[in-house]
Amino acid sequence: MKEAITGFAIKYYKAIIIITFLLTLILGLQIPKIKIDTDPENMLSEREFVRVFHNETKKNFTLYDFIILGIVNEENPNGVFNKETLSKIYNITEDIKQIELKSGGQETTRPVIIRDIISPSNVDNIKEGSSAGEIRFEWLMSKPPMSEEESLAIRDEAIDNPMLYGTMISEDKKALCLYIPIKNKNLSHATSLQIFEIVRKYPGAEKYHITGLPVAEDTFGFEMFRQMAISAPLAGLIIFLLMWSFFRKVKLVIAPMLVAIITVISTMGLLIGSGFTVHIMSSMIPIFLMPIAVVDSVHILSEFFDRYNIYKDKKKTITHVMNHLFMPMLYTSLTTTAGFASLALTPIPPVQIFGLFVAAGVMLAWALTVLFIPAYTMLIKDKSLENFGLHHGEEGKTVLTGILRNTGDFTWKRSKSIIAASIILTGLSIYGLSLIKINDNPVKWFTKGHRIRIADEVLNSHFGGTYTAYLILDKEDTGESFTTNIRRLKEKIEAEKTDASPQNIDTLLSYIDKEKDAFIKEKNYDYTEFTENIIGKSEELSSDDEYPDNVTETIEDENIDSRIFKNPAMLKYMEKLQNYMAGSKTVGKSTSAADLVKKVYMELMGGNREYYVIPPTTKAVAQSLFQFQNGHKPDDLWHLLIPDYKTANIWVQMKSGDNKDMEKVLKQVDSFIESNPPPFPLNHQWAGLTYLNVEWQNKMVRGMITSLLGSFIIVLIMMIFLFRSPLWGVLSMIPLSITILLIYGLIGLTGKDYDMPVAVLSSLTLGLSVDFAIHFLERARTFYAENQSVEKTLKAMFGEPARAISRNAIVIAIGFLPLLAAPLIPYKTVGFFLASIMAVSSLATIVLLPALIKTFAKYLFKPAGIRRYECNCVKCIISVSAGILIITCFALDNPVLKWKLLTLISAGVILTAGVICNMLSKREAGKPETEKE
Amino acid sequence: MKTFFYAFFAVLAAFTTFSAGETAGQIINKANLASYYQGNDGRASVSMVITDSQGRERTREFIILRMDVEDGKDQKFYVYFHEPADVRKMVYMVWKHVGKDDDRWLYLPAMDLVNRIAAGDKRSSFAGSNFVYEDVSGRGVEEDIHELTDTTDKHYKIRNTPKDKQTVEFSYYDVWIDRSNFLPVKAEYYDKQGDKYRTVEALEIETIQGHPTVIKSKVTDLNTGGNTVSNFSDIKYEVGLKDDIFTERYLKRAPRQYLK
Repeated sequence: MKEAITGFAIKYYKAIIIITFLLTLILGLQIPKIKIDTDPENMLSEREFVRVFHNETKKNFTLYDFIILGIVNEENPNGVFNKETLSKIYNITEDIKQIELKSGGQETTRPVIIRDIISPSNVDNIKEGSSAGEIRFEWLMSKPPMSEEESLAIRDEAIDNPMLYGTMISEDKKALCLYIPIKNKNLSHATSLQIFEIVRKYPGAEKYHITGLPVAEDTFGFEMFRQMAISAPLAGLIIFLLMWSFFRKVKLVIAPMLVAIITVISTMGLLIGSGFTVHIMSSMIPIFLMPIAVVDSVHILSEFFDRYNIYKDKKKTITHVMNHLFMPMLYTSLTTTAGFASLALTPIPPVQIFGLFVAAGVMLAWALTVLFIPAYTMLIKDKSLENFGLHHGEEGKTVLTGILRNTGDFTWKRSKSIIAASIILTGLSIYGLSLIKINDNPVKWFTKGHRIRIADEVLNSHFGGTYTAYLILDKEDTGESFTTNIRRLKEKIEAEKTDASPQNIDTLLSYIDKEKDAFIKEKNYDYTEFTENIIGKSEELSSDDEYPDNVTETIEDENIDSRIFKNPAMLKYMEKLQNYMAGSKTVGKSTSAADLVKKVYMELMGGNREYYVIPPTTKAVAQSLFQFQNGHKPDDLWHLLIPDYKTANIWVQMKSGDNKDMEKVLKQVDSFIESNPPPFPLNHQWAGLTYLNVEWQNKMVRGMITSLLGSFIIVLIMMIFLFRSPLWGVLSMIPLSITILLIYGLIGLTGKDYDMPVAVLSSLTLGLSVDFAIHFLERARTFYAENQSVEKTLKAMFGEPARAISRNAIVIAIGFLPLLAAPLIPYKTVGFFLASIMAVSSLATIVLLPALIKTFAKYLFKPAGIRRYECNCVKCIISVSAGILIITCFALDNPVLKWKLLTLISAGVILTAGVICNMLSKREAGKPETEKE
Repeated sequence: MKTFFYAFFAVLAAFTTFSAGETAGQIINKANLASYYQGNDGRASVSMVITDSQGRERTREFIILRMDVEDGKDQKFYVYFHEPADVRKMVYMVWKHVGKDDDRWLYLPAMDLVNRIAAGDKRSSFAGSNFVYEDVSGRGVEEDIHELTDTTDKHYKIRNTPKDKQTVEFSYYDVWIDRSNFLPVKAEYYDKQGDKYRTVEALEIETIQGHPTVIKSKVTDLNTGGNTVSNFSDIKYEVGLKDDIFTERYLKRAPRQYLK
């Protein structure tokens, strides 16, 4: 078949080239339709519970994502609280209200939710008035201050307001933060640029910082795409230059470049043409596909270069080269495809799309390599290949060849030490793996000096925290509490019974019983709704003059009490929970209706600090909250409460957006609620971007581990098939295993976080690091078949095959080194990984594999000629374990294939089959012919 | 005697200023007199439904008593809450003064506490609704410049621009005044970015005791999508309210005969 394909490519080379370019053109034309998606929230499926809940929370509490503008003045002893700075802040706020963004064509939108801006001139202040018993509702800074005294008065008011202290005004009382809510977080980068423009108009001693997760995430998305436009071409250029220096013929070196470019353009075109948005993940497709697309062509070029002078004919040379490389190339492509396609099993939509399209790209690159490259070589005139290639006798002269020959000698002499060193290294790596810290923080995707990182550090040192999470407490209506409440209600009504008209009360009580049954039948345990219903009945009955006056009021009181977030006990519980959270290092501040009630109550009671407490009765709470609603922004209350007072939101501000810190807070709150039962049955659930990040990260990490294990086993099975030998299959997995262990072990040892980019790169590591081993072992077997000598085979391996591997490793590793200079951490990570994958897997292939082959030669190579009829137990055992492993790892924690009875049964069946097979093989009849004699 | 309910439309009524030309001034003056300063007193039950952008409703029920101290000048208001039940018996009292700050009181039954509310700006919310305090007690006419911008068969359209822009959140507002009875029927408010953000409408008008009276009105916040609808019932004029009702003493001891 391989001859046929190469023959076809050579025969119809013109047609192939034309069709390739046409297809590329058609797909390339799809690219302008690109729809970019920079929202990490899309890492979760739209139907994912936490995401649905997050969006419901935002809607129910009218919460918006916000940009944080911090203003710091280090020169003034009072910080920003001076006439000039506050005037600037006043004007900046006015300018921010005016921001308009052009959205496609002439249309403009206002991204800012003006009424919800938190800024001194846009927040309300309630406080005691100038005379006793007087209260005052007013804007904190209705106009720019005229004097230093006024500035300090504004500061003191802000400090006195628990809603503002630690949020708008810093804990050191010197800095201010404006919270600028925006309609859609996808507008945050564009809006933040406008804010930068605005603050530039107000220079001076003030330093302005802009941060917040929405800005970080949106800006990251923007820069990610920009970086792609720089990095991919730059890497391409360097790869080109390196290949040029190796092979010295521009015309030939262009071929792999064309394969890479065509692959990238076609894959992206296909992705965009299929209607998918290009997520941050997918924006990395070119940088992943380029090295993969180039690798095979470099193998071809390398061998073409080394062989050309033997045949002196491009057609014969390419036919020979393709013949040699066809199977290894097919398998390296298949394994890489498997590695990426397995990403489709992760529960994260953008990762699935990314994995599938990279997989498609890899197969496209393979098709191009076997068809386009031979066709392309036909275009080159033999004449122009004069002086090309490695001349006879020149082999020993190049530096690379020399080094490789010495390496060959070394592996032959020191095979045992190499194996021992590898074992030690593996042990060390496994120790490193155990140290791995799973953590992520989108702000840390920027390098240290990036303005967002700086803003993050400065503002989190001054304020309660720029990372937001919402803790939602929701009253749980249980059947048990429902019946208890009704029993109490009936007792209270019974007590109102007078001799004058007992039948009215009896009517009401029997009505209550009837309604109770109706509610319970429908499993509706909503006591608020129930009492509302009863109030109606009571009012109806009260038309009778004899009806006791207080009955309706009694039921009303019950109704009021059922709205638990007006209940002092509940508010005190929230207060306690908040104090507890404040004890953690991460939570800088939290705000709830409890804080608001305390503030209003204190001011109503004359501003006396001793009244900074939860009011004693439900009605006192209700009336305090009612007073709050007489301010300029009554709706601010509904950011903290749902109007039925049965669901509350605690706005939690955190100093760190690290997922591990958020997770710690989650655990602390869980354990608090468990050991401190709330006064009413409650459900609690988190929302907010910081929390969402934790959720998708966990899914990602778990998904990646599953897909990595799964594809590892698939690749192993493929290798067993390729080499038709389990032993060779296992051997080919060794460089790959060592590479993965070493790289991830190193990440554990150095303490670098296992984050999103690191997780995604595991599939690339798997896909790429098996390649060299396949080439190496395939060639080794071919050589051995020719010369029947282990020593000769290994010596030959350090000629042309080792050169191809080294050239490849050098081209890819160096080609992607510039990524290390990128301002985005994920790019640095990709650069680091590609260099490590190439270095480790090529070394493991060139150094460790020969040592292993030498040591285990007698198991690996069977004397030729004797066809043995045998039952191969090793094959059985490996197949059985692989079968069980694959079922286990896909079933474990995988959303698509959950543990089912059938999974267990099939695992059992495989195991039993293995055992029976083993037993059968031990029978006399099953023994190999050779042993029987 | 027209109703104090136009108090809700006091903003629209846009009283006296003559600085913006005779015609606008005359209309404003008539609208003012027609809607505000006839008769001596009145009472009404008000039911307010506040609907937020998500369609969630909250209700307020209160009785409002009004008495004029002097026609065209000072007035007194007494607002007694029935609903929500947990704020029942709460009272707002206002002595509105022309030319100086109003006096305001607040009684909170749960704490048995009378507070004076300091004169601040009047653009804050009335009881958490989309009406602002100024809609209730009236916006000082001298605070705006009035221009007659349009005259149709049915309406006069007056544009009102505040003299001190820093104390209000709007840049101007337009009012449509019915030419037949001088009742303001619609007002539209524009923010500092020049966008319309708030409307006030008279939805139903009925003649009570010979006076055209708004019995249903609506404020819509175009930014949030929320609105408040007020329904007036049991409207009575010339109730014969006594001056001593509007004193601190009656905050704790509500005058029951007027509040049932």
